[in-house]
Amino acid sequence: MNIVVCIKQVPEISEVKVNPETGTLVREGVASILNPFCEYALDHAVRLKQGAPGTTITAVSMGPPQARAALLRALELGADRGVLISDRRFAGADTWATALTLCAAVRAVQGDFDLILVGKQAIDGDTAQVGPEMAEILGIPQIMYGVQMELSQNGKRIKVKRESESGYQVLEARLPALVSASKGETIRRLPSFADILAARDKPLETVTADNLDLSEEQLGLQGSYTQVVKIFPPQAKKACRRLEGLSSQQAGAEIASFLRNGHFI
Amino acid sequence: MLKIDHDQCNACGLCEKTCPFGAIAVKDDQARSNESCSLCGACVNVCPQHALSIQRKQASAEELAGYRGVFIWAECEARAGELAPKRVVYELLSQGQRLADKLGQELVAVALGDGRLAGLESLCAHGADRVLRCEHELLGQYSTDAFTSVLSAVIAGQKPAVLLYGATPNGRELAPRVAARLRLGLTADCTGLDIDDQGQLVQTRPAFGGNIMASIIAPYSRPQTATVRPNVFQAAPPDPARPIKLEEVPVTLNKAVLRTKLVEETVVDAEDEKLESAKVIVTAGLGCRQDGCLEKAAELARALGGVLAASRPMVEAGLMPVTRQVGQSGTTVGPDLYIAVGVSGAIQHLVGMSSSKTVIAINQDPEAPIFKLADLGIVGDAREILPRLLEELSKGKGAADSD
Amino acid sequence: MFEIASQAITPAGFEDVARVEGWPVINDQYQAYLRDESKLTSEACDYIFFPRDEAEVAAVVLEMARRGVPLTVAGARTGLSGGSVPLRGALLSLERLNAVEALYYVPHVEEWRVRAQSAVTLRDLNGMVLNKRFPELARGGDQADRAELARFQAAPGDFFYPPDPTEMSASLGGTVATNASGARTYRFGDTRDWVRGIRVILANGEVLDIPRGKYFASANGRFTIFDSQGRGRQVRVPDYAMPRTKSTSGFFAAPHMDLIDLFIGAEGMLGIITTVVVALCPREPKCSVVQFTADDEQALDLVESLRSQDGLPLDFLEFYSQKAIDLLRRRQAEEPAAMGMPPIPAQAGAAVFFEFAFDPLAARPDFSLLSQAVERAGLSLAQSWAGYELREMARFKNFRHLLPETVNHLIAERKRLYPGLHKLGTDLAVPDDKLRPMWNVYQEALDQAGLEWLAFGHVGNNHLHINLLPRDMEDMQRGLELYSRFAAQAVAFGGTVSAEHGIGKLKTKFLPEMYTPAQIAQMKAVKQALDPQGLFNPGNIFLS
Repeated sequence: MNIVVCIKQVPEISEVKVNPETGTLVREGVASILNPFCEYALDHAVRLKQGAPGTTITAVSMGPPQARAALLRALELGADRGVLISDRRFAGADTWATALTLCAAVRAVQGDFDLILVGKQAIDGDTAQVGPEMAEILGIPQIMYGVQMELSQNGKRIKVKRESESGYQVLEARLPALVSASKGETIRRLPSFADILAARDKPLETVTADNLDLSEEQLGLQGSYTQVVKIFPPQAKKACRRLEGLSSQQAGAEIASFLRNGHFI
Repeated sequence: MLKIDHDQCNACGLCEKTCPFGAIAVKDDQARSNESCSLCGACVNVCPQHALSIQRKQASAEELAGYRGVFIWAECEARAGELAPKRVVYELLSQGQRLADKLGQELVAVALGDGRLAGLESLCAHGADRVLRCEHELLGQYSTDAFTSVLSAVIAGQKPAVLLYGATPNGRELAPRVAARLRLGLTADCTGLDIDDQGQLVQTRPAFGGNIMASIIAPYSRPQTATVRPNVFQAAPPDPARPIKLEEVPVTLNKAVLRTKLVEETVVDAEDEKLESAKVIVTAGLGCRQDGCLEKAAELARALGGVLAASRPMVEAGLMPVTRQVGQSGTTVGPDLYIAVGVSGAIQHLVGMSSSKTVIAINQDPEAPIFKLADLGIVGDAREILPRLLEELSKGKGAADSD
Repeated sequence: MFEIASQAITPAGFEDVARVEGWPVINDQYQAYLRDESKLTSEACDYIFFPRDEAEVAAVVLEMARRGVPLTVAGARTGLSGGSVPLRGALLSLERLNAVEALYYVPHVEEWRVRAQSAVTLRDLNGMVLNKRFPELARGGDQADRAELARFQAAPGDFFYPPDPTEMSASLGGTVATNASGARTYRFGDTRDWVRGIRVILANGEVLDIPRGKYFASANGRFTIFDSQGRGRQVRVPDYAMPRTKSTSGFFAAPHMDLIDLFIGAEGMLGIITTVVVALCPREPKCSVVQFTADDEQALDLVESLRSQDGLPLDFLEFYSQKAIDLLRRRQAEEPAAMGMPPIPAQAGAAVFFEFAFDPLAARPDFSLLSQAVERAGLSLAQSWAGYELREMARFKNFRHLLPETVNHLIAERKRLYPGLHKLGTDLAVPDDKLRPMWNVYQEALDQAGLEWLAFGHVGNNHLHINLLPRDMEDMQRGLELYSRFAAQAVAFGGTVSAEHGIGKLKTKFLPEMYTPAQIAQMKAVKQALDPQGLFNPGNIFLS
């Protein structure tokens, strides 16, 4: 069985701060990490592999050369092989162009895949679009927001428990399919330090646009349907009436009178 | 690609400070970009020398002009044996009407479902000029395969200029699938929509966990499609005088289209009021972790006729179910009253509740970011304040009863 | 130079100092000010003052001295020994002295330093240092401040302030007054090692400005401190030797000692620290590792193996005893999400937690020394958890916090049955060669007594926190007796009765275990010379 896990390197969002004077992002000291949802995808891949020995897990990431760090993480967490898709010509790709490039790369490095796993969304863009777009391009079914996965006995179908708006659903699909992973009750795995060292000896190759069956105009900004025209800081809200140093009694009374004045009670 | 006019560049470094990706830097008295450049254009906007530009391909206008109308996917949910439009659909209609008016084009709602489809007339009262009703027994339950197939066909035939979806779990699954099928530009989770002077849809959305906003256009493909965050826009009141125009669209759908099978469904939380439509929400954060504070927060929610929610750390600590989580990775809410108890207000939390109409925050840390969004902020220990507040509220009630 | 002069400052108007007056109001509405993290709670306090600057501190000191009302000084009240809990009189909260005053480079020692007022928290300081953002200096500073800030921002690499007593909401002044230490002391020393200067308000309302490296005790062990009128007071440095461990028991003393060290760790007995200058340290990326072992013995083998391995600098070396791992395992079964870790391996009997520099993108990382040290203890790195991304390291940190939290939870439940019951946690440290003998003493005595207990903590510094978990009041009594026995044993091994929590008010009875009456009298003489009226922090350090 061949599992491809598509992963993304993202900035550690919780560290991103906005400079209040200029309204721009302060990126000093902001670390790059493997998108947490991608870790859940890897986690599921490893679990599925435990039930299907002989499985190969290939981690694929499109990004600048430093995205190698995210692939190393994937290798530490159990991927057998890493593929970095990196080329300056990919710059400016929107979700469509990204999906198209990823699909071309998957076809090039693991065309006989059975399952593609992705994270529910990346924490920087939060679009959750690349997965479904890939599934459409590859012509395979998709199951999103998966929290538990199980292969059928003959390895031809996958059963996924997934989050739905009102609770959970169990969906089943025939392979090959694309499944996205949500957190659920998954506790992200931790590699051993031996795993961390071993990851550095696993194969990690780089693929450029030249290795892909795509034309120049399908790449990067040229191949994108959307364009960012403006970036600006979010609007600040009105000033807060902030009360400090009240006794708990006074605080309770303040809130109660605020609620009364606003006719909430 | 990003073009740098080195004759104009005076190495002031503003671009370097502005770039969200670390993709441009001043070296040897010249700005230079590197492979991290995403062509987002942040630097272009700030360069005082106009030395930066991004080369984008040219649009071919005539063909695109043939696409007309603002279309909305009217997502329906099962309620009391019927399939009726979700609340977000009405929010979309109020926005859609504004956009359609600006374009001077029609507003159309597309509803997919089985024979239980109901309440579609109200879509007209809320602004739709036409409602396209797509009925098929295989559409009774949402499935990405069937819905993609039917909606793509409708869109390909009707050729609208704009297509909007609610950024609900299903909407966010369906929209990219349709976009990929029809080769359309798609913007996720928009919080602002407008039409520019060339008649293009300008889609604004938060990025980097809400730290910055980005405005996005899709110049070369039609329809321009977007998912729109629920609870950001207000639904307009219905106008019963508007004409009702329901059109039945014939659906051809084959079981073979459905490649996923629903095996089992568990409804959690069905009893409670839904978080996303609650009018009053009391959210418990880590500051309520101890000393029975969580119970007091629940009591407060009950006293105000509201719903108890939680911040991410509370959910991760296993103290509240994930269906109760407010924030970027949980539910976006927009209640009339939002009380944050012991919630510090990480940016991911703030983007999930920033459209709340009135916000009260109780937190021990005077610097807690939640105060930035609060109308009333109390710096103090929620564990001590909540019991006193509940006393106050019950006092008030006693007084009212005795009147 | 062993002579130093204090400077007079014009005191502010006493009436202008923000305050709360009267026990009923304080007891009703300012409960938080009446206790610290030890949960010792004040039962008498007539004033709480909130001075804004040194002039207001001086005004309070002079007026309280005039009225004969003793002053207890509080920072962030995160102490574990009741040091900031007032026994009586007034509480002086330094919380408004929270400005970062300067950031500058000292070329001859190649060191960045920060000067800040006492109430700046470790979390805020480290946040500013790590992000290289000092809003106050950027906004309020003069041109030179801004130029220096720009230089700091341009300096290659990241920096941090190493003292890390775990509780990062601690105030800088509080950590200096108590010479706070913690896990990272193993590599970076204690707070003392990073303080480059302090300003102290004395009992006479004058201020001493003490940079490190300027005022040293004379050959006969004396300092002379003049006031602004030229009146001198002699301070005799005690002649005891400090234990060969980290220690926060009593005043620091050494031949030719630096005057600054007398005030650091003196628990506020000699003056009120208003401003401190601390040094910053370059920060390398790190990797956290929890290495599981079969049992406690093997964990100690690993500690010795890692400690004796040259060329393998570890930031800290922490221990989880078998009983601690058992407790965590039970907690994990109940609340897997709260722990946020994969299941603790079934074969794990105990664990050692350490951290070291690690560059994830290094081409050929060589960790053969680490592998060898681990293998020497009969272990393999495959039996470990490791993480290096910041948020991964935060998981390890959470894991570390979870143990004391779980213990506290357990005790709180038992307290319902026996209100007088509380946790007994030791804070003893011994020299390196006494780690095993001390461990054997603990183990034998506790198991023989049939007590429920566990151990964790800074094993790298031979500083284990033995936590006794009494099930009833009888256990409690036996535990207290054993605690005293352990303290005496630690001293006999050349160790200390308090390695990091300080004596405060809760451990005053242990000071005589470590020092002779004559030595304690020497300490009291220092106190007498600087604070003859006994104005500052009554009840701390010395048995009353």
